[in-house]
Parts: sequence; C-alpha cells; structure tokens
Amino acid sequence: MDPLRAMYLRKDQPVSRRGWLRAAGCGFGYLGMAGLLSAGENPLAVRQPHFAPRAKRVIFLFMHGGPSAVDTFDPKERLTREHGKPLPMKRPLAFSDAPPGPLMKSFWEFRPGGQSGIPVSDLFPYQREVVDDLCVIRSMVGEGVDHGAALLQTFTGSSTFTRPSMGSWVVYGLGTENRNLPGFITIKPALSHGGAKNWSSAFLPGAYQGTAIGHSGLKIDEFRNEPIEYLVNRGLTADEQRFELDMLQNINRRHQALREHDPQLEARIEAFELAFRMQLEAPEAFEVEKESEATKKLYGLDDPVTADFGWQCLLARRLAERDVRYIQCTHSYKWDQHGQLFKKHTENAAEVDKPIAGLIKDLKARGLLKDTLVIWAGEFGRTPVSQGGDGRDHNPYGYTIWMAGGGVKPGFVYGATDDIGYHAVEDRMHIHDFHATVLHLLGLEHERLTYRYAGRDFRLTDVAGVVAKKILA
Amino acid sequence: MMSLRKQLVSRGPRLALALCVLPAFAQSPDQIEFFEKHVRPVLARNCQGCHNAKVKSAELDMSSAAGFAAGGQSGPLVAPGDPVASRLLRVVRYDERLKMPPGGKLKDEEIASLEHWVKMGAPWPGAAEAKTTRPAESGKDFTPEEKSYWAFQPVRRGDPPAVRDDHWVRSPVDRFILAALEAKGIRPAPAADKLTLLRRATFDLTGLPPTENEIAEFLADETADAFAKVVDRLLASPRYGERWGRHWLDVARYADSTGNDEDHRYPYAWRYRDYVIDAFNRDLPFDQFVREQVAGDLLPGPGGAPLNRRGIVATGFLALGPKAIAQQDKKKMLYDVYDEQVDVTSRAFMGLTVACARCHDHKFDPIRTKDYYSLISIFASTKSFSNAETHVSKLLYTPLVPENEYRAFRAHQDRVAAKKAEIDDVAETEVERYVGGLAPKLSAYLIAAREVYGKSRAEQEAAAQRGLDAAILAKWVKFLQKPAGEAPYIERWQQVTDATQSQVAAEYQKGFEEGLTEWNTRLRKWRETVRRMQREMNMPPPPKPRFEAETNPFFQAVYFGGGPFAVPEKERETIFSGETKTRLAALRDELKALEAAAPPEPDMACAVQEGEPVEQPVFIRGDYESHGEVVPKAFPAILTRGAEPPAVRGSGRLKFADWLTSEDHPLTARVMANRIWLWHFGEGMVRTPDNFGTTGERPSHPELLDFLAARFIDSGWSVKAMHRLIMLSSAYQMGSTVSPEANSVDPENRLLSRFHRRRLDVEEMRDAMLAIDGSLDLTMGGTLQSGFGTDSENSNDRLSLRPEAVKRRMVYVPLRRANLPPLLNLFDFGDATTMAGKRALTNVAPQALFSMNSEFVLERSRNLAGQLIAERQTPAERLEAAYLRTLNRRPAAEEKDQLLTYLNRFGERFGKSETEAWQSVCRILLASNEFLYVD
Repeated sequence: MDPLRAMYLRKDQPVSRRGWLRAAGCGFGYLGMAGLLSAGENPLAVRQPHFAPRAKRVIFLFMHGGPSAVDTFDPKERLTREHGKPLPMKRPLAFSDAPPGPLMKSFWEFRPGGQSGIPVSDLFPYQREVVDDLCVIRSMVGEGVDHGAALLQTFTGSSTFTRPSMGSWVVYGLGTENRNLPGFITIKPALSHGGAKNWSSAFLPGAYQGTAIGHSGLKIDEFRNEPIEYLVNRGLTADEQRFELDMLQNINRRHQALREHDPQLEARIEAFELAFRMQLEAPEAFEVEKESEATKKLYGLDDPVTADFGWQCLLARRLAERDVRYIQCTHSYKWDQHGQLFKKHTENAAEVDKPIAGLIKDLKARGLLKDTLVIWAGEFGRTPVSQGGDGRDHNPYGYTIWMAGGGVKPGFVYGATDDIGYHAVEDRMHIHDFHATVLHLLGLEHERLTYRYAGRDFRLTDVAGVVAKKILA
Repeated sequence: MMSLRKQLVSRGPRLALALCVLPAFAQSPDQIEFFEKHVRPVLARNCQGCHNAKVKSAELDMSSAAGFAAGGQSGPLVAPGDPVASRLLRVVRYDERLKMPPGGKLKDEEIASLEHWVKMGAPWPGAAEAKTTRPAESGKDFTPEEKSYWAFQPVRRGDPPAVRDDHWVRSPVDRFILAALEAKGIRPAPAADKLTLLRRATFDLTGLPPTENEIAEFLADETADAFAKVVDRLLASPRYGERWGRHWLDVARYADSTGNDEDHRYPYAWRYRDYVIDAFNRDLPFDQFVREQVAGDLLPGPGGAPLNRRGIVATGFLALGPKAIAQQDKKKMLYDVYDEQVDVTSRAFMGLTVACARCHDHKFDPIRTKDYYSLISIFASTKSFSNAETHVSKLLYTPLVPENEYRAFRAHQDRVAAKKAEIDDVAETEVERYVGGLAPKLSAYLIAAREVYGKSRAEQEAAAQRGLDAAILAKWVKFLQKPAGEAPYIERWQQVTDATQSQVAAEYQKGFEEGLTEWNTRLRKWRETVRRMQREMNMPPPPKPRFEAETNPFFQAVYFGGGPFAVPEKERETIFSGETKTRLAALRDELKALEAAAPPEPDMACAVQEGEPVEQPVFIRGDYESHGEVVPKAFPAILTRGAEPPAVRGSGRLKFADWLTSEDHPLTARVMANRIWLWHFGEGMVRTPDNFGTTGERPSHPELLDFLAARFIDSGWSVKAMHRLIMLSSAYQMGSTVSPEANSVDPENRLLSRFHRRRLDVEEMRDAMLAIDGSLDLTMGGTLQSGFGTDSENSNDRLSLRPEAVKRRMVYVPLRRANLPPLLNLFDFGDATTMAGKRALTNVAPQALFSMNSEFVLERSRNLAGQLIAERQTPAERLEAAYLRTLNRRPAAEEKDQLLTYLNRFGERFGKSETEAWQSVCRILLASNEFLYVD
C-alpha cells in the first residue's frame, strides 16, 4: 500500500493519541459502525416498533387524478338499471360548478376473479388474476374535492395545513435498515397538487424527507443515470475520490482533536464515510436493466405502453428487497376524467395493470409480499353521475383502494358504498383510519407516534383514526 | 353566485335557533311504543356508544331524554314535528359535512323511523321532566397560576447583578451570564482568538466569510476598540440586511407562491422581502416594523401622504401565507387563511400558540376560544383575495400608486379587453350565421354518413346527392363511428335501421337546433352585457359563458372541440366573408394601436386591504356551521388584564398593531430580544423562540432577558443597538471549547460558559462558496421570478430555481412553496410554510454527497484553484491564500507539509495536472468541518 495512504488511513495519525481516544470514547469513530451510533445522533437509526409488525415496509402505488371506483372494483347494478336517470339525492359538494349529469353506468363489464370471486372490471384483467392477494377496500372517505386538498390529505392527513407525510412519519418511527439508501423514496412524484409537500417532512427533521427519483414530468432516461441528486461524481474515479476523502477525513480529525468532543463534528465525519459507501452501492439498486428478461417481461418493460410504470414497479421491488422502508410509485396525473372517461381510463389502465399485477406476483414469488404492504390508491374516486356527457367528477365520499401483503386479509372485500356508489355507508374508512391502519400494520400505534412542535404533540392522524381491525390477517 | 350555491350545498338551512324545549306535543302510548320499538334501539345501537352521559362526545348525550333535549354544541338535534329543520335527520342521511354514525349509514328503514318519530314530535318518555341546558360556555376565570405565569408579567427593569470577577465584564450582559456561572462554580471559556472572532462576527452579521483584506486589517489593528470597529463596519454593510432579513423571513414563513393545491405565484412577494432587508439595513425601529407588517396600509405615508407605499408592502407579512385556493368550500378556505394569519402573527410577535384555541380553549395556556375568535374577527374583516368565490380563488394585488393613476391604467386595460370582445363579437356572429346554415342539414348528414360507413358508398357521391359538403361529411363519418363508450350520446343513432333512420335523424337534428338556439341566445346576452358594461360602467367584461354539457351532450360534441360542425378558432377565417375579413383587419389594427399605447403596469404588491367588518361568532369546535356567541374585536384577555375591548373602526388591525407594540406589552420586546440572542448564539434563552407558553421552555436567564427587552424598548427598539450590546460582551467573544467541569455541570451549555459552535446555514454555505471564488453577484433586490398563476401539471416550471444555477445571494432566489430547491431541503432550510424561529439541524450522508460530488462544489474548487495558480507563485503561498479564503486563517506548518505532500502525491499517483491537484485541495477545504462550522 502507498505509505502515504497508509498514514492517512491510520486512525491515530497525525492526531494525537489522546485526541483519538477521546473521539473514540464518545460512542463512534470515523469508521462508523452502524451499531455504535446512538439514536440520538443518527436520526435514521433503526428503532423498535411499538408492537410486533405485520409489515416491514410499504410500496404505495399512487394513481394520480382519481380512478373511478364504479368502473374498476365497485360494480353498481343500479347504475346500469337507471342509466340516464337523474341523481336520486342531493349532490354533495363537487368540484364542478355545473349541475350534475344523470347516473351513468360503467362502460366495462365486471367479472369475478380467482378463488375469492371478487369482481374486477375489464379495465384491469391482470389485477383480476391476482385479486386473491388483494384486500379491496370499497369504503374510503376523504374530505378534499379538489386534487390539492385530496393529495395532501392522502399523504399527510391534513388537507389544509402543512404536515409531515406518511412516509416521513414511518421513517421517523422505524428508522431505516439500509443505510446506503434513503429510507423514504418516491419515484416520479407529481410536482402539482402540493408537489413536494406530499413527501415532505414538514416540521420533522429534514432527514425524514422523502427522496424524489425524477418527477412525473420526466422520462426515465432523463434521470436514470443519477437517480439521487449528487450521487455521481463526474470528475474522479472511486480510487481518486477515496484518496481525496482520506485527506479530508484526516483534516477533519485534526480539527476535531483540537476541540473537545463534539457529536456534530463526529457525525459529519461519519456522514462522509456513509456517503462514500452510498455512492458506490446505491446505484446498483437502480440498475433495473440487470433484471432477467422474464422479470422485465412480467412488468411489461418490453412494451412501450407499460414500460414506464413497469420500470417504477420493478424499481420498487428492488428497493423493497434492499429494505427501503417506504417506497412510492406515481402514475402521473392521468386519471382525472371529467370527460372522455372511456378512452382515457382505458389508456391509463393499460399502462398500469400489467406492471401492478407483475409486482404482486414477483413479490409473492420472492417471499417479499408477506412483509411488504402494497397499497393501490388514487386521491379520490369519481362520481356515479356523468359530467360533460362522457366523464365523471371527483368523489371523495366513497371510493375504492386496495392493499395487499403485509398482514392484510387476502381475497377480502371491506366496506361498501350505497347502491349507486356515491357515499361509503358500511365500514367507512376515513383517510385518518387508513393512516392508523397502515401504521398499525407496521407495528406503530398511531396515537403514540407523536412529535412535539409549536407547543403540542402532533400525529399523522391528528385527533382521529381508528384501526380497521377487520382487514388484519 | 357560486358561493351561494356552495353554501346551500354544504350547509343546508341552519336550525340552531328557537327550538330548545322539546315536547310541546303530548305523548300517547302508541307513540311511546313506537319510540321504544323503533327509535330507542337505533339510538342505543348506533349513537349512545359515544354520545352518552359519561363520554359525551361533542358535548352530546343521547342516552337520556334530558341529554337529548339539551342537544350538543351545535344546538338541538331535532325540531319536533319538522323533519326538514332537524339536523339529526340530515346528519344520518349523510346530507351534511358531518355524517353520523361514522362507521356507516343507517339502514333506510331506520332513517324512516327516525323521520316518522320526529314528525310525531319526537316523543321521549319522561321528557316532560327533562331540563334543557346549554353546553358550557368557554371563558372560565383565570387561575392564580395562569395569571402569574412568567411570560405574562410586565418586563422588569432590574440592575445587573454583582459578580466576583469584574475583569471579565465588558458589557452589562456579562454580569448576568457570569453571575449564573459563578453560582455553579463554572469559569467562562477563554476568549476566542482574533481570527476566530472575526470569522464568527462576519458570518453572524453578513452570512459571508471575511475577505483576505479584512483579515489583514483586523490583525493589524491593535487598538482596544478594533472589534467594535469591525462590528460597526459589518452593521453598515448592505450584506447585513440580507442576512438578518433572512432570519426574519424564516419567522414570516416567506415564500413566493401559495403552495398547497395550486401553488400560484405571488408575483410581487419580492417587494416584501426587499422591504424586510431594507428595514434591517436602515435599522427601522422594531415597533414600527411590527406596526407596518400588521397594519402598514392604515398608517400615514411619509410626510403624512395618504398612500403609504412601504406600509402596504409590509403587510405582505399577512398576505404571503400558504393558501388552498382551489378548495371548493370557500368559507372553510377563508377561515383557514384567517387562522394562518392569527397563528403567524401571534407566534411571530408574541410567542403564543393562539391558534390552538380554534376548536376548544387552549389546553395548556390561558387562551380561550373567545380570544381566538376575537383575533379571527380582525382578519375576517381584512381582505386577502380580490375574489375568493371563483373556482380557483383570485389573489389580491394592491397598486402602489395613487388611485387615479391606477384607474387610468385599468381603464386602458379595459379598453383593450373591450376591443378584443368586439373582435370576438364580429367573429361569433359569423360563426352563428354559418352554423345556423348547417343545422337544417344535420339529419341529411347523418343519413349520408350512414350510407358511407354502413353501405360503403363513396363520400363524394353521398355528399353530392344531398348537396352536402364532402369535407364536413367526412367528419360526420368519423364522428359517428366512435366507440359508444366514448360517446354515449350517439349510441341511439348507431342502433338505427333503414326504417327508423329518418325519424331518429330528425330527432337528433331537433336536439341540435335546440342546443344551438339556447347557446346563441346565451352568447348574444353575454355580448350585450359586455357592451353595456363597457359603455355604462367602464367595467372589465364578464367571462364568456360555458356551455353546460350535461344539458345537451350531443350538441356539445357536435358544436365544440373537434365536432363535425365545430369551427375551430384557427379555422374561423375560412368561413368569413370578404367584408368581415376587412372589418376584422381594421379592428385588429385598432387593438394593436391600443395595446402599444398601454401605460406600463404600475408597481403592485401582494398585500392585504381593509374588508367589510364582520360580526364574528365563536365557531363551536371550529365548525363554521355551529355558531356560538358573537365576540368583539379584542386581544387575549390574559394579556389585557380585563381591559374593555377597544373601540374599533374597520378591521381593528391598527388597534391590534398599536397594542402589540405598546411599551407595557409583556411579550413583544421579550420575544424579539430572545430571537436576536438566538440568532447570535445559536440558542435562545428561551429555546422555543416561537412558544413562550407553558409548553415552551423557561428562560435560562430570565433577568437578562428582561434586561435586554427593557434596553430594546429604551433604545427606541433599535435592533442594531442590540447587536452592539450583545457582540461587545465577553460572553459573545468567548471561545467555543468546553472545560471538563462545565461539561459535567452544564453539558447543554444553557448557562453559556462557552460559545456554541454552529454549522453554517445553507445560505451561508452556498453564498460563502460563491464569494470565495469571486462569483457571487451582489446585486440587491428585485425578482428572478416572472409571471402569474401556476404552470401545467408536469412542467419543470413548477420547480423553484436551483440556487446552484444562480449567482445572486440565496435570499433573492424565489421560493415556490410546493417545490423548494432540493439543496434547501437537504440542508434544513425548513419548508417556507410553517414559521420557524429556529431551524432544525441534521447531519446526514446526502449532505456529504453535495460536498463530494455536486457540480456546484466542483466548479467552485475549479475556479478557486485557477485563481490560486494565477495569483500566487509558490505552492506555499497558494496554500496560504487557500486557507485564508476558505478557513480564514493561515495554515500551521504541519498542515502545510501535509497538504503540499498530498498535492504532489495526488498529481503523481493519478497523473493529474497541477490545476486538478489544486482543485482537489480546494475541494477538501470547502468540504472540511472547519469550513462548515463556525467556532
């Protein structure tokens, strides 16, 4: 070994021995073994859940715009029967100012899937194949009738105020297991409707902020080479950079030795070691192209229609495999069919259906589904009445999402809407209840996961939230 | 109009009134049996779990006749005999925002039973004896503990305490610090050396490092007041306002867009930012600064001028908060905005979390719901929108010129709009004529098209036979073959037979003609209105109507968009007559001339204005549908000590501002003195700078805090005087090393036995790097953001500018709330949405990646390396300059050896050029802890 480099790598040179011992005695040295870091100093250290978790991580498949429940997972015979008839009730607050159109039947046939026989419309033939793994929740309720409010509430619990996002709360509660990757990654998130507020840590420390991989306006090729900001050094080889870094750390240790023990200085020395490992190891997680042809096909990477969302889903699986705590994929703002419901929902479904089913199958085959909670949801559903003749307006009063894996009942239908699909009437699951349930599945009690800010203890579920016990496996 | 509809939809009739006593109806045995059989079980199963005498959720007990009769916080549950006025029924039908029971709607027959029961008069056995009680009023008396809480006491003007070691005392501040240390037997840390102090003070006051010259000058100055001169020099620098103004912008949760749903730009937000920077630079007395931010628009301008330009801009403090402008429940939106204004105002100036009292009396502090709504009343009487009722509410822009000047500008804008409307009018009339000619042929087009796609007849031929236009026919052919799912309104046509086609075609034609008549009528009416408003009222034209597709989807599809009879905007000219074309050309020339003659837009601000004064009731549990007593415009009772509410004209903002800055207000001066202390030392005496309430921390040095607050007021609220008082103390000039004794007695350094080492803020780090390689652009003020409104959903334009790509100081980089620059998120900037008197600090690996890999740091080190090589001869000289510029000191001999050896080895080992090797050294220095931390 280069004698100079050897000198740099020796921990006690040129810092005085006393200085080094003092530094080492405080808990961790610059080699930074994870186990030596105390939670107080590393905000991302793994923390014990409140009770035995059913899921260790989350993959949230977000359908931005609001897919229609009565056209996907919540068949309504009465809509077919009374197609064209006026709405038999007072319409609740909608997004449009215009008077409501008449009841509109679904354009798609519903057919039972799997052993469970849960009906799924022809929009989602691939998801129908895996419906026995899904827990379909037909009674979601939110408060926002506009996208911004609905997204913010879906992800932060509040449609109005800036609050930490669910992913931030989860990483705050559980820490992160893979220290070479961020604990909360959101793939191609939306810039609109709250943008980064939807993956923000708000008043939680910035370390819990979601890391965005590209955004919904970008093509994958535009960011795949540097998925995480500043991850790639464009000037130095790894050897050169290590050599430089050794000198930096040497200077930092001297600086540290001349001062009394200071955890923040040591934490930063450690951060550089972590960062160096991260940039060597993290890119591998993003090398989706290294997957087998069969796997890529399973996710539809071979077809331009499904390639984008397929890439997202496959990346999500790779990140889940590497113990990233909270992963989100976003199918960009396409589901907002105030008009042209038939055409656009058909196109949208074609882009996501196969990748989603592929993800479920793949997770299952790899034994990951049992401790990975997969969530499929939009920010709301759509009205049973037509808008503009061939579309549907926003409906947060009763819509469908599903969960899979991670301790939820497979092949199960929870809750119900009224007979036209406007309001949830049975086992209503408000977004607060949904959050409470997700935290519960992760071993966190939503009432105990708190953070003190501005004089009071905040939680993801504000002052509400009931765990939907019936869906627990 | 819309707001009325929304209100009807979301609220329904209010009933809280008049129905307090329940059984005005006699109770027959049949009725009692009905109750026992059909009503009581429903209530027991679905309601009484939460609404019983014990739990009393929402203050409501439905388990007894008395409880039921008393109702809940929003008043009685039923109006006996009147199902429509009975809120219980609306709630169980899920017709209201409140939907009960929460786990799922009751069965239809259960709801029917309840309705029947209400019609009977809601008989409940034993109800005759039931007493009605109203829910407890808020506003109980204050306890002695509440009244004697430290932060609510008047500021005490005490003398600094005596100390044993008088030598250490340079400023009265030191007596307080030293007395506390001596009491614990701790010695203050030795004074920092000169260069450490210079670096500390320069970053502290300007957010930038000292230059080589400044270092040399200070080292050479051996006079006793050398440091005082430095402080004066720094306070006189415009860089000072940029740094300390930024501190205040954290408190003001400053950003350049609304965030939340739409993230609309605040196009003139920057004027508020520039105002803040200027206020610090000119040492605007802080009480005036507060008054202007709360009510500057109501204060006289310079020399008593009626227009107070600076004052208007200052109210950006209130106007620039986050807003959910696409929220459709407009009343909720407005009250959320007022809430935000109460919150930021009370925390920024008073360190009080008043907004906690929105739904109930504050759980920890003596702030009552009444106090909250009294303040809300002030902001509800203040305008933040030019029109809150539009689908996406319109932000308010205030002209900064005299009214007549602005009117002239608007009038010209209106003339331009009118000319545009006139052009549109001509074109629309032509379109009306053209489509009117096509309409009678619609059934012929349908039948011909069917021959083409159904019977493979040639288009030309089918058209010719019926005297139709072949191109239009081709559109019909395509239109009618759409999948039925895509166009449900043509389903019927697709099922016709030869036998039925003429009748069905005639019906389609009739439907179209009806739609056309209706639409043309509406257009004509609209055009008339436009003309009339122009003529009579000189008002901007109302927006063009929209056709409601629900009423006639077939007409909509045929007439608009790409429909077969549609005349797209771009193709209009093709159907116009020669005469029309000439007329249009003339009109367009006139428009061009008008536009060219338009005066420039006058200066504008995002500011608030006086609104209609409201009578504000308490909203019970924060629900604007549930009104309690009306409250006066007043200030929190615990602070006014029972004084009568002020006599208020208008919104009451001016009175509020005066009260906040009155000399006997216990909080305003204390809270700001603590902030100043915190921004100097990295910690406040109260470590929760935005919360002086009981859940906040107690001050470490209460007497010192009061001393500073009193001095602050006595100095005429001069912030710069505070800087001098603090910075010229021994306390400020201590070193940052900790002694073992101090570490064991006071590990958190609450008593301040040493200076808190602190990491540079993200602005300091970035600005310093740019300053070091000479590329920082010191232009002040103005905006780097253009335009109004927001951008398309997936557009990169929704992102904030990247601070790495701009050379101006960070404080001038506009902040789009919804998408802040990643660099800011990475380095704990906060979210520019929730106010923050103190930023969080984290140390995570992605920050290190920025230093190691970012193009920004690579470029800085490349530039610096080039300058070192160009400006200095020997490696030793270059290294010395590098140290002076980055770490603001000379390297020790040992460090010189080490880095120069490194320089050579790096070059040799990897075959790097001299420049590249120097670049590596510079990068190391810029990434080092010593650069990023200030001792």
